[in-house]
Amino acid sequence: MNLSLFILLSLFGTILSALIAFISAKGQGHRAVMILLALSTGVGALSSALFLLSGQTQLIVLQSAWLFGTPFVFTTLSALFFFLLNTVACLASVYAIKYVEQYAEIYNVRILDALMAIFVFGMQGVLLSGTPFGFLFFWEVMSLSSFFLVMADKEAASVRSALFYLIMTHLGAGAILAGFMILSGESNFESFTRLAVLAQNLPPATLFGVFLLFLFGFGSKAGLVPFHVWLPEAHPQAPSHISALMSGVMLKMALYGFLVMVFGVLPAAGTTASLIVIALGLLSALYGVIYAVLERDVKRVLAFSSIENMGIIFTMVGVAMFTQAQGLSDFSHVAIGAALLFAVAHAFFKSGLFLGAGVMVHAAHSRSLEVMGGIAKRMPAFSGAMLVLALSAAALPPFSAFMAEWVFIQNIVSNLATMQPLVQGVLVLVLAMMALVGGLALFAMVKFFGIGFLAEPRSEHVAHAHAPELTISLPIYLLAACSVAIGLCAPWILKTMHFAELTNTVQWHTDFALTNTTLNPFALFALLLVVFGLVFIARRASSNIQNERSYHTWDCGQPITSGMEYTATAFSAPIRFFSHMITRTKKQVIATPVLATNKWIASRTFSLGLRQIWYDGLYVPIQNTCLWISTQVRKIQNGVIQFYIALIFIALVVTLTIAL
Amino acid sequence: MNAIFLTLVQFIAILSAAPFVVGLVRLFKARLQGRHGASPFLPYWTYATLLKKQMVISKSTSWVFRLVPFVVLAATVFLVCVLPLVVFGGAFANLGHFMIISGVLALSAAFLVMGGLESASAFGGMGASREMTLAALVEPAMIAMFATFAVVTGSFTVDGMVAGANILTLPALIPAIGALVMIALAENARYPVDNPATHLELTMVHEAMVLEYSGPYLAMLEYASALKLTLFSLLIANALFPMTLATTSSVAAIGLALVWMVVKLIVVSFLLALLESTIAKMRFYRMQEYLTIAFFFAIAGLVFALVHISL
Repeated sequence: MNLSLFILLSLFGTILSALIAFISAKGQGHRAVMILLALSTGVGALSSALFLLSGQTQLIVLQSAWLFGTPFVFTTLSALFFFLLNTVACLASVYAIKYVEQYAEIYNVRILDALMAIFVFGMQGVLLSGTPFGFLFFWEVMSLSSFFLVMADKEAASVRSALFYLIMTHLGAGAILAGFMILSGESNFESFTRLAVLAQNLPPATLFGVFLLFLFGFGSKAGLVPFHVWLPEAHPQAPSHISALMSGVMLKMALYGFLVMVFGVLPAAGTTASLIVIALGLLSALYGVIYAVLERDVKRVLAFSSIENMGIIFTMVGVAMFTQAQGLSDFSHVAIGAALLFAVAHAFFKSGLFLGAGVMVHAAHSRSLEVMGGIAKRMPAFSGAMLVLALSAAALPPFSAFMAEWVFIQNIVSNLATMQPLVQGVLVLVLAMMALVGGLALFAMVKFFGIGFLAEPRSEHVAHAHAPELTISLPIYLLAACSVAIGLCAPWILKTMHFAELTNTVQWHTDFALTNTTLNPFALFALLLVVFGLVFIARRASSNIQNERSYHTWDCGQPITSGMEYTATAFSAPIRFFSHMITRTKKQVIATPVLATNKWIASRTFSLGLRQIWYDGLYVPIQNTCLWISTQVRKIQNGVIQFYIALIFIALVVTLTIAL
Repeated sequence: MNAIFLTLVQFIAILSAAPFVVGLVRLFKARLQGRHGASPFLPYWTYATLLKKQMVISKSTSWVFRLVPFVVLAATVFLVCVLPLVVFGGAFANLGHFMIISGVLALSAAFLVMGGLESASAFGGMGASREMTLAALVEPAMIAMFATFAVVTGSFTVDGMVAGANILTLPALIPAIGALVMIALAENARYPVDNPATHLELTMVHEAMVLEYSGPYLAMLEYASALKLTLFSLLIANALFPMTLATTSSVAAIGLALVWMVVKLIVVSFLLALLESTIAKMRFYRMQEYLTIAFFFAIAGLVFALVHISL
């Protein structure tokens, strides 16, 4: 069977659906386009799965003359990400069929569909490209199409977020371009393999500079703190199926690029470089999780949770680089295995949560958790799937993300005793931070589910909400099922992944992770099910299940209303209190007396300012400086022609001095 | 076969002893406070009565409310199966990996919190918010504490950790056991973290969450918390005296281990009652200090252990 043909078919189908969306008449063709996109990405997912199972390590899909001879190459690593991308894109397209129709008046459906297909095509291209040129070309396709997708609803807030995103993503792309140019020297547009050879001859200082450029470029796309500020603005503004693609898959493109550059192209990174990655990873994880706990906007909670998850993944990658620099290659392989397993898990649970958030927002007519609640009673099956996804995101056993954390922490603890003091110090710090972040991640996810789904609805809209249609809920069910399956199949996934193409290092075998653990998810799952069954039987045997009645919740003799429930703000208050030193939230309670005679009878307004400290502390000063410089420069442009001539002359002199 | 028999003995022994422990702590507390106190066997009657009672289910709740008692009790029974409480080398000792233990405890805490939120009353929400905060802060301390045990003993299952825990030759375990005690108090909603005897006060955590549960569901949740108290009591005692556990399935060994179990439970119950009668409950907003101390105890143990090994 010719896999290349199927992959090309998938690419062709994706671009064809974009074209059909463009040329179709207004209000028509939406379903056909989404079904075509689902089919083409489905073919892509299948073919990459077959490739991974076949045990091949490389497949040249197409050796074309376009794009300066960029070959389309499939490697094990890119096939893994290709599989994630296409699976999520396929489910997101199915979801979009009915979801977009609900908002037909807000979105320009033709353009939205076309951009979505182009977005998916761009990401497919990023993964297939074998040269920096092709990589950057598709990277731009992905970035630009997602820029337009962020402002799909044309609201002022969306346009602002999108422009911010555009600036950040282009700074990042610029850094990646600069890195490629420094590496390739005079021979541009070479393949990555050739680039790796060229990199061997460069001095260490240059290589370190290139590494920093790549770290900024890919780190800003992956949402690493402090380059993350665009992410919680842009991801929530996009339509939910696009948010799912951006958070679930686009962040993985940054991870893929970073892995290929750091392990495949650059020579082994030094200790300093790896410590920077670990520091940024831990910072992102901690900062992201604190805001995920404090945020009240359902999609922003998920966006911050993505920052946290990417922080954890980059910490794992950083630890892999660090241990590699220390000559502990087995350790390094396990850490990479854990990072990739976490990435796989994240792609599924975060896409599912974002798709589900779309249903929640549609039911509540708002993104605020404070007006939700009571969804579990109205949509039992949907809320069950969301519970599974939320528990996966909280890294609880026996779900997917737990397995990755298990492999990683087990690896640290089992090797800690035999290492150098420096390594021990770093690993103990990583262990402590990961444990802290894990606890808070559980808080964030329980808040998300508990406030969003349980108890009484806090608004009329939710009270009258109905379960979503099957095409909307089915992708969410499937993603929830995947999260369970990935948890169960974790050892098998680790065994299947081999990364031979990263030739700088010794061949990667992620099944190293299995040699020193007792990782047996099936036994865990089975025992959990058995004790659950025992408890269930014991309850039935020992008491009468019919003996119950329904009554309202006891509340001091007063009728209970949704106003008495805990809100998301109140629920996360202890953490807000504990993290006040970091987040500097501003709480304001204003009491206005209703009666002049009794000051205790007053109406109170509560407001809570959740400040983005990185934005206020780092980006606003940069912005002000830029504005100030622009104001100063504008003084030259005062209409006096002599000034302009002098400027041209000075520019000429400076150019000549540099050039000669 | 042998391992299965050992696990079965432990399973039955812990499941039948758990209500006794709760009753015993109450009795000791009453005596220390100058009251006569109820029989230590009263909880058995309480649970039996609760099982017969009619349940009142709040109209505000959904299916999650009904799932909660099952998950919480099942998670605790799971821990009874995998931890070394009466015997070593049980059939499921391999599943007693420390990540699984802390994960399953977090799972049961998460569900309990959801049960608290389901009631739609401010009481439930308050308890839920507090419990979630405690669970989130206990998790890092627990992982750090188990990591110390793992590094010192070279084992990753709690079974192996307790078996290898000899504090006379491994002094690094002392801060780790200190952390374990603090974690156990927080996990079981005991002083100084929570007051298990309170009702309808703004200080409560655990009781606020289960306020809306009644009848068999309340019995299940109360039984789960009794089981948790029992297994943490035994875990602390076993870490100090690992020689009191049975390793073979001979009648003599098991009989001795069971006698030791009762002795350990009586001693730990008395110490717990003494502690609860002599100290005051902490303010909730100072809880992060308490759990930070536990966390740094655990990390200190880890650092001592690493220094000890490298010397």
